[in-house]
Amino acid sequence: MKTTTALTAAMAIAVGFTVSAQAQDGYFAGKTIDVIVPFGAGGATFVSAKFLEPYFEKHLPGNPEINVIDRPGGGSILGANWFEQNAKSDGTTILFTTSSTANPFVLGQKGVEYRLADYRVAYSHPFSAVAYVSPSTGVTSAAEIKDASTPLIYGGIAAAASDLPGLLSFEVLDLDVKSVLGFNGRGPVRLAFEQGEVNLDYQFTPVYLTQVVASVDAGTAVPLWTGGSVDADGNLTARDPIAPELPSVYEVYTKLNGSDPSGIEWDAFQAIASVTYAYGLTGYMHPDTSQEVLDIFESTVAAINADPEFQAESQKVTNGARLNAGAATETAIKAALSPSDEVRSYLRTLLSDKYGVNF
Amino acid sequence: MLENAVIAIEALLDPVRLLALFAGMLVGMVFGMLPGLGGVAAVSILLPFVYYMDDYAGLAMLLGAVSVVYTSDTITSVLLGAPGSPASAPTAIEGHALAKQGHAAQALGVGFLASMVGGLVGAAILFVAIPVAGPIVLKLGTPELFMFALVGLFFASSMIGRDLAKGLAAACFGVLLGVVGPAQAAADFRFTFGQVYLLDGFSLTIVALGLFGVAEVISMLAKGGGISHERIKVTHWGEGFRDFWVNKFLVLRASIIGVFGGFVPAVGASASTWVAYGHAIRSTRDRSRFGRGEIRGVAASEGANNATVISDLVPTLLFSVPGGPAAAIFLGALFSFGYYPGPRMITQNPDLMFLIVWSVALTSVVGAALCFAATPFLARLTRIPFAIIAAPLVLIMVIGAYQSTGTMGDIFMLFTLGAVGWLMKHGGWPRAPALVGFVLSGPMEQYFWLTNQIHGWSWLGRPGVLIIGSVIVIPLLISAWRWLRRRQTAQAKTESDENKPAASESRPDMALVMAVIATLAFAYAAFETMSFNPASRLMPLLAIVPGLPLCLWLLVRGFREFDGFEFRTFKEPEILAVLIVYATAVWAIGLSVPTAALLVWMLFSRARMRWWTGAIYGVIVFALIRLLFETLRGDPPVGALVALS
Repeated sequence: MKTTTALTAAMAIAVGFTVSAQAQDGYFAGKTIDVIVPFGAGGATFVSAKFLEPYFEKHLPGNPEINVIDRPGGGSILGANWFEQNAKSDGTTILFTTSSTANPFVLGQKGVEYRLADYRVAYSHPFSAVAYVSPSTGVTSAAEIKDASTPLIYGGIAAAASDLPGLLSFEVLDLDVKSVLGFNGRGPVRLAFEQGEVNLDYQFTPVYLTQVVASVDAGTAVPLWTGGSVDADGNLTARDPIAPELPSVYEVYTKLNGSDPSGIEWDAFQAIASVTYAYGLTGYMHPDTSQEVLDIFESTVAAINADPEFQAESQKVTNGARLNAGAATETAIKAALSPSDEVRSYLRTLLSDKYGVNF
Repeated sequence: MLENAVIAIEALLDPVRLLALFAGMLVGMVFGMLPGLGGVAAVSILLPFVYYMDDYAGLAMLLGAVSVVYTSDTITSVLLGAPGSPASAPTAIEGHALAKQGHAAQALGVGFLASMVGGLVGAAILFVAIPVAGPIVLKLGTPELFMFALVGLFFASSMIGRDLAKGLAAACFGVLLGVVGPAQAAADFRFTFGQVYLLDGFSLTIVALGLFGVAEVISMLAKGGGISHERIKVTHWGEGFRDFWVNKFLVLRASIIGVFGGFVPAVGASASTWVAYGHAIRSTRDRSRFGRGEIRGVAASEGANNATVISDLVPTLLFSVPGGPAAAIFLGALFSFGYYPGPRMITQNPDLMFLIVWSVALTSVVGAALCFAATPFLARLTRIPFAIIAAPLVLIMVIGAYQSTGTMGDIFMLFTLGAVGWLMKHGGWPRAPALVGFVLSGPMEQYFWLTNQIHGWSWLGRPGVLIIGSVIVIPLLISAWRWLRRRQTAQAKTESDENKPAASESRPDMALVMAVIATLAFAYAAFETMSFNPASRLMPLLAIVPGLPLCLWLLVRGFREFDGFEFRTFKEPEILAVLIVYATAVWAIGLSVPTAALLVWMLFSRARMRWWTGAIYGVIVFALIRLLFETLRGDPPVGALVALS
């Protein structure tokens, strides 16, 4: 929600603070950047955008004012469609979103008007996830996941949204998991895990570090694996630097089967998981945005990553994850947003046959 | 523990923090009074300023705002009949009826006192229960949450009213509204007509404002004059205090209902208020006054919604699972201050927990006192011609609706549902069961589906389920036993003929129109339901199977009672038409021009203001509306045909 500068100033003075106007030179001097978050205020994406806001204000040339604006609705489709119609091409409108916006685009769902694969990528932040299981299943590490003594029950929200990479990882590992979809959010799923109603869950890193680690220490949760991170060749085989003690899905497969994963399941998992985890939170810009603006963001991201304050804060929340920007990041995201026709049709068939999704 | 409580109150009594708390409270009071804008809007507008303060001051400011909203919304609900927030819809029904009879002071007095007690009870329960709140929430699994929804439905059944067919049909219609959008069970999108806007279903704020607020505005505009024809005496608070004292235990029970409602994530205030209202109806011997101004209805619902405020924060603080949108923003603020709510919150930050308790308690008392002080001035509004208040009221409801997604769909839905609510009002359909059906259909479907997926049918034997189930079964057994005994003593006394049906706003022609529309809606729904996955059919069918035959019966009845349309003395359709033209014009040419035209029409044609007072007033209202749009949403709607804003 935008607050007009005048009102901010008036209230700030009323509360006893003064706003020091900084008049500096630079590309964004005197400008305002709107960061559109297509989810509700207070959600994980909104909080992440607010977390990054002061660092961009500090390091972008000209110190622009940044407004984080929530535009929820339609499972993020409404906000992204709004961006498609209203974004400016001078870098002052950014769509900051997750795989919940990317998956409907990749799958070609109804109502999607935004051309996500055409957008320019200003910056991206990893949003990796950790799978964990209840000790009541008898599982003590990833290698034993197939020997669970009780049926595995996974709790999720909707198959075609952010649960997709998790469900695909079960396909890759060929696990017999009962997926109960229809929860309100990942928070209620975690609550259901603590209540013993579900026994297999994925949580994104900030939540894992602040909530689940407490359960791990108490012996009521067993961490299994992460989605992994992208190696030098662009494959999702490396360990996630955010939780380096845990194997990646790739490693778990290799350990269980004695060979590298391959085939359509693996290709589909790679495509979806890299947009969800490795480039989980991405700031997109209008397709006509000039290279100059993107270069500015690349050097700004480098400056933010080097900022000791940012390093200290991100250590607390994400175990020190860093922002990405530049040509390599953009190429990888665009590749993940345009999977092969086989992968696309595999995903559509899987979702409609196994999870009853109508396209 | 007590030591932490003392540290917390000392921390809160720091002047800057107290100032922040009361500043937040004032903002919360204003937003509580503006229909459609409530805790969420107040918290969002305060959020940027919170970052200028230290953690306790910032959080106190947000708490001040959220905990007073359900106190000050009583004013709007009672005086204007438009619910100040969705959770005060029962107050709008009962309190406004009292205000029209000249008993506004009584309704407001009881409302404020019940609000205060509700807030205090909530704070007191949390104070005592902090160590055990976590385990309690952990005991409430999906089967228990499903049972809570059933309890809600059971209490809602007492709101059906005298015309059984219309009451049940209204409830079914509400459930049908509630299933629009994503199915919980399978990946079906129901009744969306290819509109992205409907992918999330209807927003509660818009449904509550449409069904109650818009319809009320139309009626009062048509009637002309002030809100109350009686002189409203708000100087004599004595009556209110006496009524409150008589109903003190009802308020206490309602507050406890509210506390439990808050423990259930995502159900919160709106559902628990209805449950408390239903409880008030069930526990009253003479039910004839409900719907026409029963003070017990006000007492129960205001006690409940205020008690929910603090317990809504329990799942937020202990498990990082926000109970509602305002709690979600509060959670975001906690993150920003470096607090990561979770199981360790109580041991790591006990002071913070007590700071919350104290903030809510303090705001409850001071907020209620301020409301008492402000009311005599506000009550004068009820004597001036309603058209003068109606202009800003309609526009504020538009802004409130526009907060949901910030698209034109919000404004269209507000007036479409307004038309439906207006038809229901004049067709003799009770609107309370429709709103309850809407609120409960989502959680009922979701928790039933999750429960059955996870537990099969074994959940029926869980102790929590049995305890909550007894809340339904025991009253049923008691009333069955009473009924049997009455039959044995023979000759059931004819029900004391209840005064006459509610001041008869019901008209045969509108009843017929409503029956036709509802029949078409159910028939179409039946057709589309057949294309869903089996799991997504259950809930719509639960509405359609009883709803369609009931509507057909109402259709037959409607034709029988129909004796032609009569519009000579019935001016309301004109006003409805103006509002719909307004919505369409905003879509076509943007906000400014139609809003100015609407103001001119209301102030000069309806209210007959003198040109210069009207012009000054109109310009002020217009400027305030633009400012609110800019402040809350950043961008007023831009025309689709002519790109003005």
